[in-house]
Amino acid sequence: MAAATHEVEHHTSTGVDNRKLLMWIFLASECLFFGTLISTYLIFRGQSLVGPLPDDVLDIPLTSLSTFVLLMSSLSMVLAVYGAQHGRLGLMKGMLLATILLGLVFLGFQVYEFRHFGHLGLNLTTNQFGASFFVLTGFHGVHVGVGVLYLISLLIGAGRRNGIGRERALWVDSAGLYWHFVDIVWIVIFTIIYLIPQ
Amino acid sequence: MEHQAAAGHHEEHPPTTIKQYVMIGVLLTLITLVELWLSYSGLAHALMISLLLILSGVKFVIVVAMFMHLRFDSPLFRRLFTFGFLLAASIMVALLALFWNDHTDIVGGLPEGAESTQGESH
Repeated sequence: MAAATHEVEHHTSTGVDNRKLLMWIFLASECLFFGTLISTYLIFRGQSLVGPLPDDVLDIPLTSLSTFVLLMSSLSMVLAVYGAQHGRLGLMKGMLLATILLGLVFLGFQVYEFRHFGHLGLNLTTNQFGASFFVLTGFHGVHVGVGVLYLISLLIGAGRRNGIGRERALWVDSAGLYWHFVDIVWIVIFTIIYLIPQ
Repeated sequence: MEHQAAAGHHEEHPPTTIKQYVMIGVLLTLITLVELWLSYSGLAHALMISLLLILSGVKFVIVVAMFMHLRFDSPLFRRLFTFGFLLAASIMVALLALFWNDHTDIVGGLPEGAESTQGESH
């Protein structure tokens, strides 16, 4: 904590740190990216002429479990940010590790789901549902994967230090913003693809 | 100076405690369980879809406001994210208005007996 307060702050014309500003601009642009993918899914909804159709393949209880895992990863991520901001290195490292593991579990669910759908005869080129489903959830999965790599790099960096400065806390804060954004995108995807009846 | 002081204030830690974060996590889980129950409840589709979208929106706002700290952070971040979100929502509405129930890309047209709900302009 003491180390955090003694570090030199960046003074910017906006009054906020440019790295955090950059992350928010990036997330705003990501809204457009996922917005168009979700629109495409909705436009193709119910237009498939051949199966398998969503009702034949979607496993709602299983995906609810993976959704719970991602929600819990958001909780562990916010606790990691809390640890970084309050100079509690142990809490930060533990919660970063928990977030990484929960993210990997979520990806495991997704890999299982994709393979299962493949066995049921659904792939990217089978029908409109397959195309829009795999592109949308696949891109989300890639974002989770990038987030896991981002958090691993932060955890390795934290392992080499004995304390957390304000600078390092900001990197964890930015990583948290990215991770929570991936979570809110899944909140929307889960409702639109899995919960709303076809 | 005032501007810098205000900015400094926004960079302070959010007042949320660990216990409050855990309670928010529990609340998000409960909402997800209600959503799951709703999807199997057999309610009328219009009502069910409305409730699901509202609950999804509540979860979205909770995460953005409390976990992403937008409630406590600089108004600049709030405006940026709101702008991106509204722009994305507008594009979604425009795309859906253009292509919803549009069957023109189905090779060979609709199958025998299938009813088209598309506009007459197609």
